[in-house]
Order: sequence, then structure tokens, then C-alpha cells
Amino acid sequence: MSKWKIYTPEGVQDILFDECFLKRNLEGKIRTLFRTNGYFEIETPTLEFYDTFCGDGELTPQETMFKFFDQQGRILVLRPDATIPVARVAATKCKDMQYPARFSYIGNTFRFNELGGGKQNEFTQAGVEILGVNTPEADAEVIATAIASIKAAGIESFQIDIGQVEFFKGLMEETGLSEQDTEQMRVLIDQKDFLGIEELVGRHEIRGDLRDLILELPRLFGCTDIIDRVEKVTFNKRSLAALANLRNVLEILDDYELSKYVSIDLGMVQSLNYYTGIIFRGFTYGVGFPLISGGRYDSLMGKFGKSCPATGFSLGINLIMMAIDRQKIEVEKPCVGSLVCYGKGGRKVAFKLCEVLRSQGMTVELAVMDNDIEKSKKYASGKGIDGVIYILDSKNIELYNLKTGEITKTSIDELLR
Amino acid sequence: MRYLTIALSKGRLADLSIDLFESIGIDCSELKGSSRKLILKDEANKIKFFLAKPADVPTYVEYGAADIGIVGKDTLLEEGRHLYEVLNLGFAACKMVVAGPEELQGKLDNLNNKRVATKYPRIAREYFEHKRRESIEIIKLSGSVELAPLVGLSEVIVDLVESGRTLKENGLVILDTISDISARLVVNRVSMKMDSERINKIIDGIRKQLEKG
Repeated sequence: MSKWKIYTPEGVQDILFDECFLKRNLEGKIRTLFRTNGYFEIETPTLEFYDTFCGDGELTPQETMFKFFDQQGRILVLRPDATIPVARVAATKCKDMQYPARFSYIGNTFRFNELGGGKQNEFTQAGVEILGVNTPEADAEVIATAIASIKAAGIESFQIDIGQVEFFKGLMEETGLSEQDTEQMRVLIDQKDFLGIEELVGRHEIRGDLRDLILELPRLFGCTDIIDRVEKVTFNKRSLAALANLRNVLEILDDYELSKYVSIDLGMVQSLNYYTGIIFRGFTYGVGFPLISGGRYDSLMGKFGKSCPATGFSLGINLIMMAIDRQKIEVEKPCVGSLVCYGKGGRKVAFKLCEVLRSQGMTVELAVMDNDIEKSKKYASGKGIDGVIYILDSKNIELYNLKTGEITKTSIDELLR
Repeated sequence: MRYLTIALSKGRLADLSIDLFESIGIDCSELKGSSRKLILKDEANKIKFFLAKPADVPTYVEYGAADIGIVGKDTLLEEGRHLYEVLNLGFAACKMVVAGPEELQGKLDNLNNKRVATKYPRIAREYFEHKRRESIEIIKLSGSVELAPLVGLSEVIVDLVESGRTLKENGLVILDTISDISARLVVNRVSMKMDSERINKIIDGIRKQLEKG
């Protein structure tokens, strides 16, 4: 009955040594970045009620969630998303907080085959949310923070695509298409399925200029002068307001001196029942999926009892690691500087020396096998440890540099001086 | 410069794709040779090609292992991958249909329990459940699907039809058309953004060729 005992389930991974070292470093750098930008970190439970994530508008498709039951028979899920719990906390426990409130999180989320995790079922997400304000400044700050976190990870060539979902919503409103047709249109545009769009548009009576604009939508991405061009041929008020908002955010990002990382995509229309304004995604070489996704979601908190504007982003730590690996970016690896071993009578001194060296920030391993210098040297060179400190007795010490073969004789007093 | 990687579907689609790429000035001579190499290159344009089983092409493109792919719409519908479908290449045209015995013509709705034999379980399910709002039993086969209704394995089939000759010779008729099928050019979502200039050049080149006819 134990045939699975040596395996891990599909879509989850052991993360070992070098990778784990890198992952913790990345999380550390990103956490520092969030803290220095004034975001306060929160941790929400790994388990939540199914109801938090489902409900109207299908926030998270039920087939993507890991589900089970509690003792009262209620449905539980493994957290499939990090933003929704933040919205729950903010709307229920931080109702009277002074706005804008800034939250951050770093934690694991679970979904079947989620793109944001590089098709893994368990993946780590880090992100921030600014709650309580609907200003282009807040949207720009979130994007700037997203860019800063990719850079903090050591990735230099990447791109952030920014869109505005109100642009699409305005156009659809004007066509008078049914909700169902609008959703179909959204899917087609999201897939840049030109043929499908043409076919759908052809089935309805849509004014000429509007039709041309819709057909053009999947191609409306690239440099920022697209906005100028589109502004001249758009007549819908809602869409025009969206373009003005987008332009505003871009101007702010220009003052951040981040324009070189930014481009426009007006055909970005994923998760419309979630996003209500600016929407963005981050890409880099070597990873086929977006590293970062984010945007404004002003109606989510209302679902938990307090309407409140909000904007944020989340970044896939596992995807960042994949990019670092594929782009062959140099990263720090875990290593041990010295091995300390001791002869009879040297034990107490050895412990003291380790303590002192470690307090100076060195990585020191203490020999715990039998304390034979030859065996210790062999062990050290096998493990890639370059220095062996051999403490013969309470006074005399020999330093072996395994790289050069050099042996230095010294004493504890001299070494600690 | 980074190589752009193009995944081609093995078989007839590959030959037609090669003609198309050559017409826009990409060197496919290595592809046409009888080499056993799996990855072939056009060094001048920094393009790599590989041939894959058609059903796998969308997977390579979705994961970004290939930036561009050429694959039939049937495979795209069946695989349901996250990628950009940017061009209809027009060739390898056929239809995805529901077919069955003559006596079911116009009576598909009256059939209570439908067993549907197909190589395309996802397309069949999508069509019956979303478009017709019916529950069905899928019977997955890997070839000669027309046989199923003849020997009582299923009531109807969902399959690709080109000329309709096989159906006709076996007393089957088309009951409904699900979709028009032809070869498509697909692009990875990230590549489209990161390498938009080079990819758009290829897309525009091919589009012009297609318009020329």
C-alpha cells in the first residue's frame, strides 16, 4: 500500500541547495524592496474557505483549485491566489485603517496547471497592493515597484506591457453586443485570433469606424505612440477616458525614468471580471509565461463587504528563477569557507574559534567525524571547502589552503588577534 | 542575436510551410535535405527549425521552447493552449463536423443518450456541452472513426472531413459543421512581445505572400 512513498505528486517540486539558496536570496531582496517602499507584510492562511474564491463572476474557476472538507463538511481550498485573501483581510479587519494602505506578501499558492507558476501546481508569489486610492500615481507606483523587483532579482532585459481594460469595455458597450458575445470577443482578442474576431464582428451590425477599431485591437500593442493614433479614431467616452488614464500613468513612469521597460497593449483583456482599470504584465527571455501580472481591481473588496479601490501586482518567484537559469545570470551559491577540525585537547578552542569566525560572517563547518587531518582534508576537498583549520591542542594551529597546498603554522592567540 | 525557433508539424503541413518560408527569403535548404539532425538552422537569419508531431506543436510554442509554430486549427482547438493565433495560412483546409447515419439528419436533438466517437474528445465535448448544451459520452478512438457508427460503437462521430468521400461511401452524412479548419501560424505570447520586430516581419512577409495568392 505504499507504492507512492518515494515520489512527490505531480506539479510540486523539492527545491534543493543552490536553488533553495537562490530562492531565499530572491525572496530576501524582494522583501527588503517592499519594506523600504513602505509596504507592510501580511501572512494569510494556506487554507481558506472555497467561498472566498468562488462566488459571483467566477473569480477563480473551480476546476483550478485544490479542494477538501473540514470537520463540519464545509469546502476548503488551498489558497489559489494571494490578492483575494489580501482583499478579504483589508475589507474585514482593516476597515478603519488610514488610506492609502500598503500591503505586501510572499507565500505559496496552489493551482492546477497555473501559467503564473510555469505550469507547476505549487508556486511562490510575491506582491504588493495599494488600497484605498484610485490615482494614476498609485498605479504607476505599483508598476515601478514591479520593475524594481525584477531588477532586484538581477534580470535586466525584460518588458512590461500596460493596458487599460476600460478601453475594451467601452468599445463593447457601444457595440451593444450581449454579455455572452462580449465574453467570446474577449477570448478571441486575448488569443489574437484575427479570423475569429472578423467572423464574430461580421455576424453583428456594428458601425464602420467601431468595427475597424475592434478588428485592429489585437494589433494595438507596441510603443506608446499607439495611444495618439487610437485616440483620433475612438469616439467612445469610456474608451477615451481609459486612454487618458493610460497616458497619465505613462507620464508618471517617465519621471521614474522607467519608460524603456514599458510598452502598450490595448488588446490585453484577461481576467476582466477582476480588473477594472490599468492592467499589466511583465515578460523576459527564456520563460514562455508572464513573470508578473497586476492591475487595478476596484470592485474586488466590495465582495467582502467594503467597497474600496485597489491596485497591485504579483510576481512568480519560480519563474524569476527559471529566467535566471535560462539567461545564465551569475548568482551566488551556497559554500563553506573553512572546515575546523581538532586534535586531542583542541576541542574547546575549536568551538571558541568557530564562534568568533561565524560572528565575523564567515561560513565555518565543524568536523564531526573522527578528527584525523588527512581524512578531514580529503572530505573538505571533496566538498569544495578551500580551507582547513586544524587545531592540534589548546595552542597550536595549522592552516591548510587546499587550493595552493600551502600550510601555515600559527597559534590561537595570533589567529584571534 | 538570439535564434528564433520555429516548430513545424511533421508531414504534409511541413512541406507547405517550407515553401512559404522560402518565399519570404528564409533558407530552408537544411530542412529539405535528408539529414537526421533534429534541429536545423538558417544561420544568416538566425532561425532554427524543428519538426514535431502536430499535436505537440502548440505545447512547444506555449512553453516558449519554440517562438513560432505552424499547426492545424484542429490541433489548436483540441489542445486549447495559451498562445497567439495570428495568421490563417489557408492551406490544408477541411472541416470539423458531426457525422452519422442518414436517418439522424435533423434529429440530433431527439437522441437521448449520445455516444460520440472521435479523435478529438475536447472539441466534441466543447461543441456538445457548450453549443448544444447536452451531456454526451465520449468514446476516444485513434483512427478510422467512421467505423464506429457502422458497428454500433457510437451513434455519431466528430471528425475532420476533407472531400467527404469516406463518409459517403459508408452511408454517413454530415449532421452539423463545427468549424472550418486550416493551417495557422501561432506565436508564443512572450516572444510576440520580446521579439516583436522580427516576428512581425515574418508575419507581414507571409501575409503579403498569401495575399498574392
